[in-house]
Amino acid sequence: MSSSAVEPEAADLVCQLENVQGMVDSLSAVRWKRHQDAVVELSEHGIVLILEESNCLQAKVYLRKELFAQYDYNAEERPRFGVSLGLFVDCLSTFTVPGRASAIEIRYPGPDMQLLLKSLDSSDACIYAEIRTIIPDTVSWDYNFEPAGSVPLSFTVKSAALKEAIDDLEWPGSSIRINLKPAPPSVSFRGEGHGDLQIDLMYNVNSDLLLDFNCNHPVSHRYKYKFLRATTSNLPSSVMKENRGSKLTIGRGGMLKVQHLVPVGRAPFPNPHVIDSASHQQQPGRIAYIEFFVKPEEEEDDNRND
Amino acid sequence: MEFSLSGNGLKTFSRCITCLARIGNELAIEASSSQLEFHTLNSSRSAYQSITFKPGFFDVYTIFGAQVKFSVLVKAVCAVLRTPIQSIDHLRVQLPDPDASKVQWTLECNNGMRKAYSITCNVEPDIQHLALDRNGFPSSLIVRPRDLNRLLANFQSSLQEITIIATETTSLPSDADSETGEKAVELRSYIDPTKGQLVSCEFTNDLNGEYLTAVLLTVDNDSSLHTQLWIDPTEEFVHYNHVGDPVDITFGVKEWKAFVSFCESCEVDIHLYFEKAGEPILMAPKVGLSDASGSNFDATLVLATMLTSQLREENPSEQPQRAASIPAQAVRQKEPQAQPESSHRATASEHPSDQTKIWSDLSGSAARSGSAAAEDRQTAEDRNLSATDLRQSQRLGRIQISENVPAGAPAASRHHNREKGPPEEAQDTPQVNDNAFSQRHPSNWVDATEVDDDDDDDDEDEMCIQSTPPYCEEH
Repeated sequence: MSSSAVEPEAADLVCQLENVQGMVDSLSAVRWKRHQDAVVELSEHGIVLILEESNCLQAKVYLRKELFAQYDYNAEERPRFGVSLGLFVDCLSTFTVPGRASAIEIRYPGPDMQLLLKSLDSSDACIYAEIRTIIPDTVSWDYNFEPAGSVPLSFTVKSAALKEAIDDLEWPGSSIRINLKPAPPSVSFRGEGHGDLQIDLMYNVNSDLLLDFNCNHPVSHRYKYKFLRATTSNLPSSVMKENRGSKLTIGRGGMLKVQHLVPVGRAPFPNPHVIDSASHQQQPGRIAYIEFFVKPEEEEDDNRND
Repeated sequence: MEFSLSGNGLKTFSRCITCLARIGNELAIEASSSQLEFHTLNSSRSAYQSITFKPGFFDVYTIFGAQVKFSVLVKAVCAVLRTPIQSIDHLRVQLPDPDASKVQWTLECNNGMRKAYSITCNVEPDIQHLALDRNGFPSSLIVRPRDLNRLLANFQSSLQEITIIATETTSLPSDADSETGEKAVELRSYIDPTKGQLVSCEFTNDLNGEYLTAVLLTVDNDSSLHTQLWIDPTEEFVHYNHVGDPVDITFGVKEWKAFVSFCESCEVDIHLYFEKAGEPILMAPKVGLSDASGSNFDATLVLATMLTSQLREENPSEQPQRAASIPAQAVRQKEPQAQPESSHRATASEHPSDQTKIWSDLSGSAARSGSAAAEDRQTAEDRNLSATDLRQSQRLGRIQISENVPAGAPAASRHHNREKGPPEEAQDTPQVNDNAFSQRHPSNWVDATEVDDDDDDDDEDEMCIQSTPPYCEEH
């Protein structure tokens, strides 16, 4: 509830971000097509963006409120609106200044339900943007990801290695089969097209390729290459530089969940224009969570494991 | 068959694949107990590359049975080697049995990933074997790739063919001409006069209306840059050997550059063996004594050269042929068709460098020298034949035609038709005098015979091109 009723209508959300580049990075990670419409949900916990394609691929970006220097949420019901992702990211990019952190304020809604962006860096110049939003006509399908069984089937792999493997898997020109085997603990990606390619990742104590591995029975599912590709095609370079890992989980029915952690860097020096109300001095790393859900391809013989 | 590679051997192997990929599409592999050979042929059959590895080159080399032969697409092997070499621990290639339909290329990466590529192979490759004896070539030169790249940088990057004119190095006593006399080698851009832009396309039916004939009229791309470079072989080459009459060879640049890059990355000099126009040339890395790994692998590139010599005048009555022949099948050779320009150069001195004939077709002039007329008339008429006829006229068994050449006929003709309008018929040859052959007076060229002096003589010849800006007003 907004108590400062100076304005006739208090905005649902006013938040300030110290370094807009982090937001650009995290939103870019879910760009796999030129034209994508994102559904944005605002809540007291943070901002979530949801994207979908052909009911087979869904991506979510979680920007928790702790990432923001200031986060004033005043809505009663969670606002939901649609916005063109490319437009939003390109617009945010215009606020970035190479070499230094740039702070912005995001406000919703504007007088006409727009998304309002304002630069906070300088006292004698201002960059200001309005982005038109649309009423989302579809309800985001909740992929209802459920664990496959009592023991999760998952592994964590270096994001850079995952991207390299998926890039290599373009060559066969076919859908990709992911196999998890408990003994010896290994993950393999296999494509059989005009040529065959199998990429094996072994899990052993010495290797830092697979950082985690949980599997108690063999699992095998096939996924369309272009959807798998979408999960890593635009990983920001900060992910590689910080040597982060991505977690892949296979849920019931073979649904694949791919999770990335994108650093939303903090400004190197405190920005005098931003009121730093959140206590994040001791935050270990300020991270945006990216999740992809990929539906498996139908198997002809349906006696595969979950 | 199985072999395995790592470290420096893998780096060399990767460079070999890169070079092979720039030459041809299909990679033929022949494995025997004594060696492993890769070879490829380019699509116009004018370049053949072969790379031979001795078993010692590999970490592991085993072969079951006598010999294994198969072929794969080079692109597929390039896909395997897309992974950066420094992140590969080792590469293992396995063909489970001689009739297997797939060959396995497995990469063990440093980070723990294993990538197993299964590439379809063709067990009956149809690439012929070609072996030329290096010692059978009378002339040769050795050049550093770095130096060669520097020389080639003078030519436009889109150049497709180049001519090397080699003359005997003379040991003249030092006099005024000696410095120029030592420029015994010339590199010259070769612009195929038949390759040009399509100007018009005319379709006619035969009498019965059954067959459609297409007449494609092409004209020269006159905007090409023509470059001539005279080189002193003692300065530019590590070694040069040519005795006898001047000789010229014209061949494709693209494959040559691929080989030069290959030698450069392997840090070896290029040994180029040649004989004369029409005979193929052979290139190989010059294995130095200090190059230990050189004994384990060898590479050769054979390029076909144009039959038509740029130097000599010979029987003009036969239609000049554009040649690109891999001499494995070479049977007989047509007489090289020459540039009928010798009359123009009759007054030239006998200095070897004058054999590097100076010609210029850069102008819009249709001037031709007399002796060329008859041939030109013929070739111009040939142009008007249907394109298919022209192609067929060249179809001697072994004559391989480079893809872009629609017709072989006017290849030798320097007096190619000009850009505007249909190809000219017989030029009015009697009126043309030799000087009009070239709008640029020969003395305008920095001829090897001349000392560099200002072109004082040029003013006197009305055909010359004034040096720009025309400082030399008529005093």
